[in-house]
Amino acid sequence: MNSLKRAKELDQEYHFMNAFADSLDSGEGRLKGYTVSVKDNVCVKGVQSTAGSKVLEGYVPPFDATVIAKCRAEGASILGKTTQDEFGFGTFNVNTPFNKPLNPHDPERSTGGSSGGAACITAVADFPHLAISESTGGSISCPASWCGVVGVTPTYGRVSRWGLIDYANSLDKIGVMGKTVKEAALLLSVISGPDKYDSTVLDTPVPDYTELESVEELKVGVPKEYYGEGINSDVEKTIWSTLKKLESKGAKLIDVSLPHTKYALSSYYIIAMAEASTNLSKFSGLRYGLQEHIEGDFNQYFSKIRTLGFGDESKRRVMLGTFTRMAGYRDAYYLKALKVRTKVIEDFKHAFEAVDVLAAPTMPVVAPRFDEIEELEPIQHYMMDILTVAPNLAGIPMVSVPCGTSEDMPVGLHLMADHLQEHTMLRAAWEVENL
Amino acid sequence: MKATIGLEIHVQLNTESKLFCSCTTEIDDLEPNTAVCPICLGYPGSKPKLNRKAVEHGITIGIALESRIKPVIRFSRKNYFYPDMSKNYQITQYEVPLAEGGYLMVGDHRVGITRVHIEEDPAKLVHVGGGITNARETLIDYNRAGVPLVEIVTEPDIESTEEARDFLKKLSLILEHLRVYDPSGEGSLRVDANVSIDGGNRVEVKNITGFRNVEKALNYEVVRQRSAVNMGLSIVRETRHFDAETGVTSTLRLKEQEEDYGYIAEPDLTQIHLSEELVGGLRVSMPELPDQRIQRLVDQYGITRFQSDIIVNTGLRMSIFYEKCCELYPDSKTVANWLVTYLLKSLNYEGMSLEESSVAPETFTELLTMMDDGTISERLAKELIKDYVKTGKSPRKLVEEKNLALLPVDELRVVVGEVVSENQKAVDDYRSGKTKAAEYLIGQVLRRVRARAAANTVRELVLEALKGN
Repeated sequence: MNSLKRAKELDQEYHFMNAFADSLDSGEGRLKGYTVSVKDNVCVKGVQSTAGSKVLEGYVPPFDATVIAKCRAEGASILGKTTQDEFGFGTFNVNTPFNKPLNPHDPERSTGGSSGGAACITAVADFPHLAISESTGGSISCPASWCGVVGVTPTYGRVSRWGLIDYANSLDKIGVMGKTVKEAALLLSVISGPDKYDSTVLDTPVPDYTELESVEELKVGVPKEYYGEGINSDVEKTIWSTLKKLESKGAKLIDVSLPHTKYALSSYYIIAMAEASTNLSKFSGLRYGLQEHIEGDFNQYFSKIRTLGFGDESKRRVMLGTFTRMAGYRDAYYLKALKVRTKVIEDFKHAFEAVDVLAAPTMPVVAPRFDEIEELEPIQHYMMDILTVAPNLAGIPMVSVPCGTSEDMPVGLHLMADHLQEHTMLRAAWEVENL
Repeated sequence: MKATIGLEIHVQLNTESKLFCSCTTEIDDLEPNTAVCPICLGYPGSKPKLNRKAVEHGITIGIALESRIKPVIRFSRKNYFYPDMSKNYQITQYEVPLAEGGYLMVGDHRVGITRVHIEEDPAKLVHVGGGITNARETLIDYNRAGVPLVEIVTEPDIESTEEARDFLKKLSLILEHLRVYDPSGEGSLRVDANVSIDGGNRVEVKNITGFRNVEKALNYEVVRQRSAVNMGLSIVRETRHFDAETGVTSTLRLKEQEEDYGYIAEPDLTQIHLSEELVGGLRVSMPELPDQRIQRLVDQYGITRFQSDIIVNTGLRMSIFYEKCCELYPDSKTVANWLVTYLLKSLNYEGMSLEESSVAPETFTELLTMMDDGTISERLAKELIKDYVKTGKSPRKLVEEKNLALLPVDELRVVVGEVVSENQKAVDDYRSGKTKAAEYLIGQVLRRVRARAAANTVRELVLEALKGN
C-alpha cells in the first residue's frame, strides 16, 4: 500500500493533516523512500498552506520553502500539510478551525502543539516517514514529548526560513521530527545550511548529523530552575531515573543555574506577540486567502476579513502585541524584553562553558486531556511553555527525546546545547535513546 | 508673516532591482502588476533580501549632504494599515538612519538635514471616478511596491516658498550628479511639507509630486494660513492633501498627536555594518558635485561663471553636452556663448528639455563650423537654430534642403549688378553725395538673396559696383 493512501487512512482516525498532496513524487538521494510531512505553515508549491488559519483558507503558494526544495532534491516524497495551532499560537493544537489531532497514546488527550499534526503522524506512521515541523517557543519539543517521538529544534539561523509563514521571525526555527534520533538527524542534515533567500541563515558548514556515536565523558548540566515547583513529580521522577542511567554509563551530572529563567516567559511572549502582530497585518483579504465582497472603505473591508479570518488567540496576540510596541509602552515592554533576552542568552553561554548539554523535562506535565484544556485560562496555556521558551529565546538547539512514561503517557527529556552544537546534542540524545 | 517650512523628500533611487527583491525598477512603461514577485507582493513565507547598491547610493547622498554616516544600520517595520502597502507595514529605518546631522547651503542660507534613510516605496493607487476621498474605486499597481526610496528630512529651516523651490532644485541637481536618481522618472521625487506661519500650528501637506507642484502647494498653503490668521481664525494641526489638478490643499485628517507606528526592528534583516573601507571608498570615488563642476568649467574652458552656472544648473545632461561639444569644436567660449544664449532660448521656446529634443553635440557644433567656413552667416545661424531645435535635423541638412548656403561671390556680384542697374535713381543720388543711397541698395540686394549673403560682403560689392560705374 502506498504511503499516501495509508496516511489518509490513519488521518481518518487521528486528524493530523490539513491538506494532502495530489500525488507523491520521489527521486534519488538521501531521502529516497521517505515520505515527508510538512507543518502547515511551511509553504509547499501547489498544496494549500494555511498555517492553521481560516484567513489563509484556499491559499496555494506559488513557491516551495527552501527546506521543501532541499527535501525534493534528496528524493523525498512530500505528503502534505500537518495540523497546527493557528500561526503556531498554542500549546495543544486546539487553537485552529481545522483538524485537531488526537494523541496516539490516548485519543482523549492533546498531541501538544503547535506542531501537533507533525508529532502525531510521526508517532503513528507505519511507513518510512519524517516530519518538517517548526518551533517559535517550544512548538517542536512539546508535541514530540507528548506523542513520544524525537523532535529537534536547531540553532536559530541553521535552517532557512524562506517559505515559512512567520509567527515571530526572530524566534521561528524550522526543525524536524522522527521516530528515532538517527532519522531526525538525517532530515536535519538535509535541510540545514546557507540560503540566499534568508539573510538570517548562517553559512557555517553542515556536518553529517547521522554520524552518531557515544560522547566520551559527556558533561550534562542540570539547571535547578527547571526542576521542583511547577513540575509534575512523577514526570520529574522519570527524568531523574533517565539521568541516573546516563550517569551510570559514564556521563557526569553537573548542577548549574540559569538565574534569568523566571523572566524568560514574559520576555518571550512580549517579543513573540510584538512581531506576530505585525506579521499578521498582511492578512487583509486583498491578494490571497480569505476574500469577501468589497464594501465601504479599506478599513471596513480589512476589519471584516480579519474579524472573520482570525481565531480568538490570534486576535488576542494582535492586540497584546500591538500594545507592547505602542509609544509610551514600547520602552517598558518591547525594548525591555529585548534586553532580558540578552540576559537569558548570557545565562546559557555561561552554563555551556562548563557542560556539553543541559538536561530537563521537556514539559512540566504529560499530555493533558481535552476537557482539562478547556478549563485553562490563557495565562495557564502560556505557563505550559515555561521549560521551552528560554532556549527558544536564546536561539540554542534543543531536542526532546522519549525517556519513559508517566500515567502511561510518554515523557520527553529535553537536551539543550550551545549555538551550532547540534551534533553533540544529537549524540547525547542517541545515548538516551539507547539506554 | 514669516513661514517656517520643513521638507521630507522621497526620491526613487535608480538601482536596477527593487530594495528587497530582484524585480526591475524600470516600471514606467510596464503593464500594471507585471514587475512583481512574492517578496514585493508580501506573500506569506517570503522574506526581504537587501539590495546593497541602494545602501551605497544612500551613503553617497549622506556624504554629499555633509552628514554623519552611521557605522551600523538596521531596518524597522513601520506599521499602519493602508491598501498601498503589500504587508501593511513598510520596511524603513527608524532608530538608526543611514546618515544624520548634515546640511545644504541655499545661497548663503544653511538648511539643516536631520536625517537620510532608505525605505521601500509602497504600491501605486489609481483612483477611478474621483479623487483620494471620493473615488468610485481604487486600483492597486504593485509594480512600484519595493522600489528603493531615499528619504531626506530637513530641519524646519526653510523660510519661504522660493527657498523651498531653490533647495529642491539644488538637491535634485546633486542627486543627479551622484547618478543615483533619474529626474525624468514618473513620480521620482515626492515631497511632504510641514508648513507653519508665525510659530503657529504645523500643517503637513502630503504627497506632492514634482517641483512645480511643491511650489504651487506651498504657495497655496502659506496664503491659506495667512488669510485664516488675518480673519482671526486659528490654524488647526492637521494633515492636508494637495490636489495637483486644482492646485488646492484640503483636510485629509486632523492630528491631535504624533501618529503611532508601533515600530519594531525588522527581524528578517540582520544589522548591516557600514565599514570604514566601504564608506571611505565611496567618499574617495564621489562623483563631482554641481558646485565643483561650475568651478571646473570656468577653470578648464575659460568661460564666465555666469555661463558655467547656467550650464551646470540646467542639469547634468547639459553640462555633459557642453563638454562633449568642446571636444568637437576648438573654441569653448564660442560654444558656451551659443549654448547659453541661443540653444537654451530655443529649447525654452519649444518647451523641451535637452533630453526631450534631438539636439546632439555633433550637430550643434556643425552649426558653429558652418559659420566659420562661410557656409552660413551668423544671422542665418541664429535663425537656423530654431528649426534645428524643433526638428532635430542636422543644420547642414537644413541648409541643403532650404538652399540657404551663402552665394559664391561671383553669383552675388551678378545680383548686385542687377540691383544697381535697376535703381538708377539711387545710383545718381549716391554720386551726387547722398551716401545713404548705398544703404538702400545694400538692403535691396539682401532682400533679394535673403540670408544667403553676409551683409559685409554685400556692402563691399555694392560700393565696388558704384565706384566702377
